[in-house]
Amino acid sequence: MPLDVAPVIRSYETQRTLNPPGIPALAPMPTGETDDTRRIIERFGKDIVAAGLHNGNQVVFVGPAQLKALATFLRDSAELNYETLIDVTSVDRSQLPLDGGVRFQTVYQFRSYSRNQHLTVIADCGTEPGGNGELPHIDSLTGVYRGAEWPEREVYDLMGIRFDGHPDLRRILMPKNWPNHPLQKQAPLGGEEVPFTFTWDDPEFETLGSQILPAESAAPDLPPGMSRQNMVINMGPHHPSTHGVLRLVVEMDGERIVSIDPDLGFLHSGFEKTGENKRYKDFVYYTDRMDYLSAMSNNLGYCLTIEHMLGLEIPERAQVIRVIMAEMQRIASHLFWLATHVLDVSGTGMSLLMYATRERERILDLFEMACGARLTVSYIRIGGVWQDLPDAFIAELKDFLRVMPEKINEYDALITEAPLWQERLTGIGFISAEDALAMGLTGPMLRGSGIDWDLRRDRPYSGYESYEFEVPTSDSGDCYGRFNIRMEEMRQSVRILEQAVGNLPSGLYKSNNRKVALPPRAELDVSMEALIHHFKLMTEGFHVSPGFFYHGIENSKGELGFFVYSDGSAKPYRLHVHGPSFNNLYAIDHISRGEMLSDVVTNIGSIDIVLGEVDR
Amino acid sequence: MGLEEKVPEGILTTSLDSVINWGRANSTWPLLFGLACCAMEMIATGTARHDIARYGSELFRASPRQADLMIVSGRVSNKMAPVIKRIYDQMLAPKWVIAMGICASAGGPFNNYAIIQGVDKIIPVDVYVPGCPPRPESLLYAMDLLRAKQRRETVGAWRKVEEPLAVEEIVPLGV
Repeated sequence: MPLDVAPVIRSYETQRTLNPPGIPALAPMPTGETDDTRRIIERFGKDIVAAGLHNGNQVVFVGPAQLKALATFLRDSAELNYETLIDVTSVDRSQLPLDGGVRFQTVYQFRSYSRNQHLTVIADCGTEPGGNGELPHIDSLTGVYRGAEWPEREVYDLMGIRFDGHPDLRRILMPKNWPNHPLQKQAPLGGEEVPFTFTWDDPEFETLGSQILPAESAAPDLPPGMSRQNMVINMGPHHPSTHGVLRLVVEMDGERIVSIDPDLGFLHSGFEKTGENKRYKDFVYYTDRMDYLSAMSNNLGYCLTIEHMLGLEIPERAQVIRVIMAEMQRIASHLFWLATHVLDVSGTGMSLLMYATRERERILDLFEMACGARLTVSYIRIGGVWQDLPDAFIAELKDFLRVMPEKINEYDALITEAPLWQERLTGIGFISAEDALAMGLTGPMLRGSGIDWDLRRDRPYSGYESYEFEVPTSDSGDCYGRFNIRMEEMRQSVRILEQAVGNLPSGLYKSNNRKVALPPRAELDVSMEALIHHFKLMTEGFHVSPGFFYHGIENSKGELGFFVYSDGSAKPYRLHVHGPSFNNLYAIDHISRGEMLSDVVTNIGSIDIVLGEVDR
Repeated sequence: MGLEEKVPEGILTTSLDSVINWGRANSTWPLLFGLACCAMEMIATGTARHDIARYGSELFRASPRQADLMIVSGRVSNKMAPVIKRIYDQMLAPKWVIAMGICASAGGPFNNYAIIQGVDKIIPVDVYVPGCPPRPESLLYAMDLLRAKQRRETVGAWRKVEEPLAVEEIVPLGV
């Protein structure tokens, strides 16, 4: 009997929510105009459905026929110069009042680094008859931006939209024999009914704790484009150096790598579908578990997106606390990267693992002081932070900041100049600036190729504009350049932390807006009003007015973006996470070609992936 | 009195079960294998502060043939389940399983299409560790519980459950 994985519909899923009249509603059309949208309308005229500003972002709606021409124009026009396609996602609008509009839309995020501009393009999908019902399809942008390949495969896998002209349209996250496209609205959330019973005679307890499913695996296919003339070897998903459950199919000619086909999805956890079934405030806890090495940054990215949609003001003190947490998390994440990178490359470099985790434990202790958890913190909430910093926190943090620069110098002295280390990293995993832009890489992968871009400095959030720090870049484009960047980023984070600790203002640690942020516990005892607000927030949550918004922050791995489409209810209608590891991992095939198998391990460490975020 | 009086000094007598269990309980080698967030805490357990070497379990083996203990550290997706089952089958008896964290124990917050609701649906579990993720101390306590269980076992018990493995049909790639 094969593993029965068909999703089940749970009884409470079919219950309607008590939405006020007029909800769900479509997002309104963009208003106003900017230089970019005016240029696009001048060029395309009536083919542009709408263009303007929405929630502060530039948005262009375009028909399916002109999408590819628009993308080419965005990239090649000297005035626009959108070098990178950051993200591709999609919306299934079948539960919205469509009024004859199409059901599926694809959403693209374009970025111009040279002009510091962001543009959202939304395209209607065409339909063709087939299967049971109509199949949505749209032109693929892989010919314009190479980095669209994986995000488009993801959209195909989870949403079922076919991309015409895509070179390799296969499922990417789900098993190849999966019955449906899980993000479509009619697909059930799945899972199991929680058994609310205490009778041990119930049949469901009969097999508890024993082996009941044989779990047969589907035979793997030879990835397209690989030749059996060469040796094809399998690496992972159970491999000590793939940083989790990543499977690489490596085609080798002798000792040299011909191509790599990564097989993802072994940790696919359905974050996006789960998020669409949770209230806004409840998804904060899930973001911890995506990139579990930088939970604070994930919290921050999600909360900033929702707060922007709500138009919420965050108190000064909460902003500084958030910066402190995000920068500590960056150091902790980079320390773990350093530990595992050295462990992978040298094979026996246990000593640096011990040293780096020693400092990381101190950061985790500080997190524990603030919120009680080490890894999955959920400390940053919508409206501010969960609770104020304890009194001893700042003294402890100052002590940490006193020793940390010495420790970074210590790691430096251990390996940076070591001949073996340089031998293994210099010239390995080279990627040029043009390729990095075309593939949509972000973070140290981009800065390692000489693109001077950091969202904290160039599109500041949470008050980053008031801190002094440098953005390290490297022109070498190889693993050694990226290694140096991350080491320097740790020093810069210490610098930011010192400034933040020195200027920590007093005041509120979360917003006073009782419609969004919970009232303090002490207030519940004396104020009926506070009790009502608490009850409303806990049972119903808050509503976000219809619209959509994409917001990216710079986390330790690159640009972490959240795209949220709200229909006016208390749950996100569509929630998409742009994980930096996912896009960066796409480069593994390109940068490893012609190198040795052992260099693949170096490259994986240098890309710095976290599989929880790649697979989501 | 008894046999000890008759044998020369320096020789102890004990039952075969206790001496074998003593060895097993003090050198349980885990499989080097992480799934999700809990794997980070598993690594933290292995590093200096928590030091799993005190239990004789610091030797994380990358090959399932050399490992005694599988720590399922994180959520098990539908795509990963056959892999975990196969790795478990590849481990030689005696072998034990710790389901680390609520996801591996019962699905946790991920009650959805992608995640198996508890790894005990595919492999038998000896110790369940609550927490999301469990602290390193929790994992060490789970090791304690496992050692208590190992000390109660008999040598014959593992022989009985070990059935000859069916010869798996090896499907070559791309055929």
